[in-house]
Amino acid sequence: MRYIYFIFLSSILSAGGGILDVDWSSVAPKSTQQKPSTPYPKVLTEGIKDVHLPVYLSKQYVYDKNMSVVADENFYTISIDLDAAVVTFSGDRTYQESVSPNNPEFQKIAKATPPVEYNSAEGIMSAMFNRHGVNYSINIECENPKRDNRCQKVDFISSLYHSLIMVGGRP
Amino acid sequence: MRYILLVGFILFFISCSQKRVEKLKGFSYTPAGKLFPAKSGKGRVGDTYIYAPGIRFPIEEAPAYVNSQVYGVGGYLGEKGSLCDKRNYQYPWHDNYCEKRKWKMPLCSGGRGHQGDDIRPATCEKNKYHAVAVEDGIIVSIGKYTVKLRGKSGRTYRYLHLDPKTLQVKRGQKVKRGQRIGLVSNYMGKTPTSIHLHFDIMQTIKIGNKSKVMFVPPYTSLVDAYKRLLQGNP
Repeated sequence: MRYIYFIFLSSILSAGGGILDVDWSSVAPKSTQQKPSTPYPKVLTEGIKDVHLPVYLSKQYVYDKNMSVVADENFYTISIDLDAAVVTFSGDRTYQESVSPNNPEFQKIAKATPPVEYNSAEGIMSAMFNRHGVNYSINIECENPKRDNRCQKVDFISSLYHSLIMVGGRP
Repeated sequence: MRYILLVGFILFFISCSQKRVEKLKGFSYTPAGKLFPAKSGKGRVGDTYIYAPGIRFPIEEAPAYVNSQVYGVGGYLGEKGSLCDKRNYQYPWHDNYCEKRKWKMPLCSGGRGHQGDDIRPATCEKNKYHAVAVEDGIIVSIGKYTVKLRGKSGRTYRYLHLDPKTLQVKRGQKVKRGQRIGLVSNYMGKTPTSIHLHFDIMQTIKIGNKSKVMFVPPYTSLVDAYKRLLQGNP
């Protein structure tokens, strides 16, 4: 039965990718209009100036001049080098495959997805969430993954998730 | 003289082609989702879909061996012996996507499992074999032991356990398919692992009006890429 199921799955996946619509109406107007009291560093403003999705970063790092930003109009990744760890904040509005919402396996997956999903795999702690119709993630990778609590427990990544602020992005 | 050169060239071409075929004949692999040993978990048997069609094989040269690090000889749940045991360095390949792990993986049976495939390079030597870009793209991040490549397709490929001292790329660098990234090693920060490349593929799947980023099965894409590598057409 499982075998038939996967054959079915293989045939219903469609390899046509595209761009997800950003629900800008769900973005708090304050986030898009309010300018920071102290301007953000150039590395950030220049790096995300062409990004067409809301850009989120933990407020504790918005003034880190050593951050690195890799972005184009549909995605961004901001890396912050910490002591013995690297944190990345990413957003992406592209998709590579599509599947019918009636597909039982994916229906189950979509239904079971919580608002934010914490996971630790390969020593890397991650938080994944969907906001405004697009996908975001935070990842923490430690020099000592088995002993560093930032990669062992959710407390640190959860604090980052709860301190996210919108720092840019435009329709 | 011209005639002799032409015949020589044809013989050389035939000899090379035969070698390629012989090499390809030596390659064998078990089906996608059939994990080995059986106790290592349940894979996605029957899912033969190639999620990343046309990618280049992530290690520059053959041979390379896809098999379990945890349940292989010398692995911490495998048969006792050396990690360098020759049985770890032979065909057939065995898929290890969805191998037993504690972490969440929605596409694995029971919702947990290994999110990629582990690949051993030709020999049990670190810092000798190059990991290369599987498609044109940009290096989006470099962590403590992970390099992330975002391909033009929008997929993100992760390369784990390259020796950071050997990296030939930096964040934000555009790379071409086949371009060297770094050397395969056992690096995992202060907790070394076995000598291998952990390779995985992240992509976003649209499900009706929702979407989710998932680690998709890499094995079929790797088999396809490896065959092309063996044929001299990576």
